[in-house]
Amino acid sequence: MREPRSRARRRVGTAVRLIAALTLAGGLYAAFAPGVYASADDPPLSQAAQDGKAIFDNSCVSCHGRNAQGVEGRGPSLIGVGSASVEFQVTSGRMPLARQEAQADRKPPQWQGEELDRNARLLGQYIQELGGGPQLPAGDDLAATDDGALARGGELFRVNCSSCHAFSAGGGALSSGKFAPSMQAATDRQIYAAMLSGPQNMPVFGDNQLTPDEKRDIIAYVQNLKEDKDPGGWGLGRFGPVTEGLAIFLVGIVVLAFTALWIAGKS
Amino acid sequence: MSDTFEEPAPAKHRSVDPQDENLSRFELVREGARRDGVEIVHYAPRFPIPGTKAERRVERTIALCFLLTGLFGLAFVVIFVAMKFAYTPGNNSAKYFTPLLGVTLGLALLGVGLGVIIWAKKLLPEEVAVEKRHLGGSDPDDKKIMGGQLVHIVDETGVTRRPLLKGALLLGLAPVGLAAIVLPVGGLIKDPHAGGDPLMNTGFDPKNNDGNPVPLVRENGTGIRPEDVSVGGQITAYPGIPDGATNKWADSPILLIHLREDDAQKARDNLARIPLNAPTASDPDGSMWENFVAYSKICTHLGCPASLYEQQTNRLLCPCHQSQFLITDNAKPIFGPATRRLPMLPIIVNDEGFFVARSDFGIPVGPAFWERP
Repeated sequence: MREPRSRARRRVGTAVRLIAALTLAGGLYAAFAPGVYASADDPPLSQAAQDGKAIFDNSCVSCHGRNAQGVEGRGPSLIGVGSASVEFQVTSGRMPLARQEAQADRKPPQWQGEELDRNARLLGQYIQELGGGPQLPAGDDLAATDDGALARGGELFRVNCSSCHAFSAGGGALSSGKFAPSMQAATDRQIYAAMLSGPQNMPVFGDNQLTPDEKRDIIAYVQNLKEDKDPGGWGLGRFGPVTEGLAIFLVGIVVLAFTALWIAGKS
Repeated sequence: MSDTFEEPAPAKHRSVDPQDENLSRFELVREGARRDGVEIVHYAPRFPIPGTKAERRVERTIALCFLLTGLFGLAFVVIFVAMKFAYTPGNNSAKYFTPLLGVTLGLALLGVGLGVIIWAKKLLPEEVAVEKRHLGGSDPDDKKIMGGQLVHIVDETGVTRRPLLKGALLLGLAPVGLAAIVLPVGGLIKDPHAGGDPLMNTGFDPKNNDGNPVPLVRENGTGIRPEDVSVGGQITAYPGIPDGATNKWADSPILLIHLREDDAQKARDNLARIPLNAPTASDPDGSMWENFVAYSKICTHLGCPASLYEQQTNRLLCPCHQSQFLITDNAKPIFGPATRRLPMLPIIVNDEGFFVARSDFGIPVGPAFWERP
């Protein structure tokens, strides 16, 4: 009778000791482990950033990874890209990406209207607090309005932007399926953010290279270019001589040839 | 047309005397055409009875065309005179000036054209005329006579038996012929080596700056500091000499690029592949300065500005013929028609913290030319 009781007691004792050891180990880990990550120079996220992190973990985490550290072969790290980059990519609909291809293209954004503004701001706040980076100035209207802004902006645009985006901001081809997009749909803030952050293959134009005032001049020029009516009424995508030459050849000369044939055939 | 052409109605052909008083004017016209080898075989008015309703309708249509021409012509003049054209940005009435001129003038000319065509097709008498086709070469007799005439003319001058005149004529006319060539062609020929060797060196040659290193400047002449160009950024720089950013030194512009750390390391590792850019004992950095690299902006294919910088793939693109250069490997051409690397400008930062060119490019910039070494 004694032996089985003793064995049962021993078994219970083993289980109790195991549970105690596990509890101790878990408790110790719980007590110390968070302290390892929340080091002194890593302040806690603000409320806005926490909200942003919630959106991030929902919409962005699959490519940009946990804590925006990037996933090899899927999405780059967002540490240090700044809120300017987030605002550009999210408000222009480029992010979230629909599929992996040569280049993210502008598309209808994930959210609309005020929700888009709010979510982009929250996401930007999260990325900003994660690793810092360039930030946009406040306000929707970032175009310079003073006399001469257009002239200065035009000069800066032709020196810095026109090689890729073309003289009329219609965009142009790059290597291997990539392209410099048309600026037709870009808002003031998106143009400013693009200069500041250098999205995708666009070079960065930091504030030391193009001062904030110069950026505002460029924006004024681009917005003026966009609003300007095309002489003749039809810009053909503003690609310049290629489309215009093609149109004249395919449409103009064909019409002339068939008109000549028609006149001759009727006689 | 086939060669089996039948001569039109020879039976109708009868000799007509133009002096015949009884001859009608149409017969005179027909005889004139016949003498030119054209036979009018059918001729009938469109409206045998003048003044019918149908005829008047056609007349009204033609008149309408001409009146529309007048209307649009007048509109053209009014628009040209009354509408003051001045460029103002945005969508405004001035933007319609040129299109309106084009449309009114175009419609005016269209009106005349339509009027004349309808007149010819609907009112002028219908006519079928046949012209005898000229077959083969000239008549053998004509050929013989023409040849004789030509030889006779030469023979008459007697140049063959008057060598003095022949020689004098040649000697006299040759310079005149030369003058005819020199006038149009001479203007196109320029000595490429006049005024030094502009094809061999650029504005970054220290001789343009009293022997001192030439600074890299912006278009407005201000110097460039390393902190002015963000990582992943680029800036177009010109030689800091008088007129350095003008067409006088059009072959000098460079692209100064600030590479990312790992890309810069790749670029540094590859420097040794090109002796001209490679690090030496005197400059251990080679032609780069820290993570900065400067390339000529002039494409080695045909001289377009190769300045489309892709900051993630580290390629420089030329927009004209899609040549691509790999920035991290001494601007090696990797796509497109260009076959030579973009020359690299050896750069350094001077004591005041501005970029300067240590020397000129080691090789001539831009496309090939005859004397290119």
